[in-house]
Amino acid sequence: MTSAVTIPRHGGTGGRTAVAARARQVVKAYGAGETRVVALDHVDVDIARGQFTAIMGPSGSGKSTLMHCLAGLDTVTSGQIHLDETEITGLKDKKLTKLRRDRIGFIFQAFNLLPTLNAIENITLPMDIAGRKPDREWLARVVDTVGLSDRLKHRPTQLSGGQQQRVAVARALAARPEIIFGDEPTGNLDSRAGAEVLGFLRRSVDELGQTIVMVTHDPVAASYADRVLYLADGRIVDEMHRPTADAVLDRMKDFDARGRTS
Amino acid sequence: MTVMKTSMRNFFAHKGRMALSAVAVLLSVGFVCGTLVFTDTMNTTFDKLFQATSSDVTVSAKSASDSGATDSENGRPPVFPASVVGKVKAAQGVKEAEGTVFSTSVTVVDAEKDSLSPSSGAPTIVGNWNSNDARTMKITSGAAPRGPDQVMVDKDTADKHHLGLGDPIGVISAVGTHRAKISGIADFQVTNPGAAIFYLDTRTAQETLVGRTGVFTNVNVTAAPGVSDAQLKKNVVGELGTGYKVQTAKETADANQKNVEGFMNVMKYAMLGFAGIAFLVGIFLIINTFSMLVAQRTREIGLMRAIGSSRKQVNRSVLAEALLLGVFGSVLGVGAGVGLAVGLMKLMGSMGMHLSTADLTVTWTTPVVGLILGVVVTVLAAYLPARRAGKVSPMAALRDAGAPADARAGRVRALVGILLTGAGGYSLYLAGSAGKATDGSLWLGLGVVLSLIGFVVIGPLLVAGVVRVLGAVLLRMFGPVGRMAERNALRNPRRTGATGAALMIGLALVACLSVVGSSMVASATDQLDKTVGTDFIIQSDSGQRITPQAVRAIKDTPGLARVTEYRTTQADYTTPDGRTLKNTDITAADPTYASDLRKKVVAGQLKDAYLPDSMSVHEKFAKAHGIHLGSRIKVAFKDGGTAELTVRAITTSDDVIDQGAKYTSIATLAKYVPADRMPLDELVFATADQGRQDAAYTSLKSALHDYPQYKVRDQTDYKQALKDQIGQLLNMIYGLLALAIIVAILGVVNTLALSVVERTREIGLMRAIGLSRRQLRRMIRMESVVIALFGALLGLGLGMGWGATAQQLLALEGLKVLDIPWPTITAVFLGSAFVGLFAALIPAFRAGRMNVLNAIATE
Repeated sequence: MTSAVTIPRHGGTGGRTAVAARARQVVKAYGAGETRVVALDHVDVDIARGQFTAIMGPSGSGKSTLMHCLAGLDTVTSGQIHLDETEITGLKDKKLTKLRRDRIGFIFQAFNLLPTLNAIENITLPMDIAGRKPDREWLARVVDTVGLSDRLKHRPTQLSGGQQQRVAVARALAARPEIIFGDEPTGNLDSRAGAEVLGFLRRSVDELGQTIVMVTHDPVAASYADRVLYLADGRIVDEMHRPTADAVLDRMKDFDARGRTS
Repeated sequence: MTVMKTSMRNFFAHKGRMALSAVAVLLSVGFVCGTLVFTDTMNTTFDKLFQATSSDVTVSAKSASDSGATDSENGRPPVFPASVVGKVKAAQGVKEAEGTVFSTSVTVVDAEKDSLSPSSGAPTIVGNWNSNDARTMKITSGAAPRGPDQVMVDKDTADKHHLGLGDPIGVISAVGTHRAKISGIADFQVTNPGAAIFYLDTRTAQETLVGRTGVFTNVNVTAAPGVSDAQLKKNVVGELGTGYKVQTAKETADANQKNVEGFMNVMKYAMLGFAGIAFLVGIFLIINTFSMLVAQRTREIGLMRAIGSSRKQVNRSVLAEALLLGVFGSVLGVGAGVGLAVGLMKLMGSMGMHLSTADLTVTWTTPVVGLILGVVVTVLAAYLPARRAGKVSPMAALRDAGAPADARAGRVRALVGILLTGAGGYSLYLAGSAGKATDGSLWLGLGVVLSLIGFVVIGPLLVAGVVRVLGAVLLRMFGPVGRMAERNALRNPRRTGATGAALMIGLALVACLSVVGSSMVASATDQLDKTVGTDFIIQSDSGQRITPQAVRAIKDTPGLARVTEYRTTQADYTTPDGRTLKNTDITAADPTYASDLRKKVVAGQLKDAYLPDSMSVHEKFAKAHGIHLGSRIKVAFKDGGTAELTVRAITTSDDVIDQGAKYTSIATLAKYVPADRMPLDELVFATADQGRQDAAYTSLKSALHDYPQYKVRDQTDYKQALKDQIGQLLNMIYGLLALAIIVAILGVVNTLALSVVERTREIGLMRAIGLSRRQLRRMIRMESVVIALFGALLGLGLGMGWGATAQQLLALEGLKVLDIPWPTITAVFLGSAFVGLFAALIPAFRAGRMNVLNAIATE
């Protein structure tokens, strides 16, 4: 097994704001004794601000767990996770909830929207919950970017799968979170709709300066990212900058082959 | 077989979701069984008591009641001369015959002049200590009474009032007040449900109760060995002739039992009625549970259909689950029923009615009735959801499960609901405008049933409108959380409708009864104000008549301008149309009564009815029997002669006070009824000298201090007493309705709990994007409150409608004033909001505790 190839150095691009989130020696284990399963094994990772990071790995590699831990949805067994300057490991539910509400955006694979709310209500929901007024100009820009202006009064059941995911993207962007986490956001979409959504994510990074972390097992999706992290058996085993779909696919095949022979 | 197996597995896999439905079945079945066990136990207790206290054959005066009770209008028990005992002894087969004397027209007081009579309505009995009593009672301390200054008391009463040997006691009867000291205490060998019993020696009993010696009220006859009770009775009758009442032990016990049974049947059927309402409410809960389970299992059912289950099999598997639920709930319910009965017995015990758990009677019919009821109701309630399950297409297996599609309330439902509600409304309108009470009450019943069913059917359609209004008024101030709560309540109107309807039923009845009750008070108060021209009303709350000594005490009170005596008795009327009316009431009063109660007259003058050999009748009676002013009615007084009275006034029939009374003067009554048979006063009215009401009230109270059984009330207190009395009755009914309301609350809890499970993913999502636990809990509470208020709004509206209609109808009977008790209505409405909050406690707590990641991951 290769050990983690690159551990991005803290402040590599200068200044603390360069890193949006960082994990240090994060361990996540389930069960105890004989049945103990380690999902994350002393992971160190820095998520660069203003970049689109993809996390890849085979099923059970711990990629979703890593994302959940970084996003404050799950607790860690040991190690620290910082969101900017805030250490989120050890925070109580109340503070974590507030942190998710105010500083993090989510896009899930499916079931992203509340069926009782229409599109615009879903988009503004995190701000409504927080009791904040959405920034109208920004909201209009986001809605425009994802191309939903004429669908705002529709209920989720009246939207296609791709449209629903675009609403989810808009919701994640609307509150201007520090970081957006996507859990296979295109996993349920056909390739055209998927490309559309990924295009929006890419543009939001390039044009709006948004930080995005996305878990995926699709090399095409990963190719939209600035950087790809590879996880296997709970460790970061490799990374790739400025990936292309083919390069990612090759690397995956490589891991697969090595996994089988070792 | 596989059907049963999957049903069993489903049932146990969802035992949490079934739990509340099971509790609903349990409560309803428990209440039914509890009622049956309790009344059966009371029957057993009385049975044992009556059997133990009856002698082989009992002889009493012809006019005595079959049960041996000696309440009589003249306050003295019916007696016969002591020589009868000798005659009985001469009869063949008599081993022993003993004369006894006792009376229930008595009040017993302690040294402080506080009444020792039971407050539970059980009788106070004073009698002579005889060998029959010696058989059924054991003297536990002191000795049997001997001489005029000794009295023995039963142990229960002694314990209750902390009486000991040597304590002074006063026995108040129509004869006078007799004082004695306690010489002994005797304990019943069977359970005595609550009568207070005092024993004197024979001579003292005769003097105290009847006013003279040498008379008895009964002869207790014991049969010689080998002589049956029936044979003995025959022999005694042969000896005495037909001038006496002769009963075997069984006849006496049966007559007593029949007396008690009437009261107990009323109680039994009233309680079963309330259990029925609880069942009705439980049906909604069960329907909701199964509908939600079927909705959640749509995919699973689709799979079953795809791999070859027939509709019937799916249908049956749901019904089989219902069967399991029904059996499970009912079995527990039967057990709970026995517990409830024991609890009720304890409660009765604390109110002075002693029942022994040794007499606990569970007949085989009780569990059978409970089981059948519980199972049949559960399976019937699950029938609709089961049918819906059968209709699930195999395609459902392939579709994304997600949230079940919003159930759309169909057009058929709207049509049926509007038709039913309309028909109900029209029936109520007919009831309100009916000219005759009997026609009206039929329409009222029909209207109530139709409008209730109509509201239940139409409920889901009303959800949208009512919830939006409630949302606009209440929820908007809670921002997005309120909005989501509103949307959640709206998303499945059928579910919200059924849950609200369950609450609606109980609250509709509460509203209806409170309107009728307060209209009764308002009408009576209104009429008191308009017609009563006297200051004070004196009566006994237990219905005892007023002894001549007490009347004298009233008359001797200073500061009174006039005192009016009032008594009723029975007579056989022969009216001008040639008909004879047996045992019809006649009211005899002093002529001043015409000014004490200014009753409206349609013909003649009321004061003329008090002229010698005159009377008045009321309008309806006059019409029915062709009576006009000047008509003559033959009146054969009970215990007296026959008079021919001239009708000199016809009073109005639509009154609350003294409704349907036919008046004559006490002087007229006295002409035909001998003095020793003359009934005592039921009421005495006193009017103070002008401007001296307060002083007179105080004097009257102190004059009646020696007679704690009588209450003197001025008009204000009288109105209050009336209000309290109706309030007490209403409270009792509300208490029984609480069962139905509790089941309805369980329904709200159930709906919320199942909704929370159904919306696990949504909740996870909301939590992930930043909804705090507190906000989540608030959202669920709000939804609950909206559902509860929806039910309350419908229920109160419907109930007030029923109540107002009932008042309109009863206006024919004198219930002229409609009074809507807004404080009660408002309190119920606000209370419903709290019910909503309360119902959401556990579901909200559980939703808050849900793990966000698991919630998101849930399929």
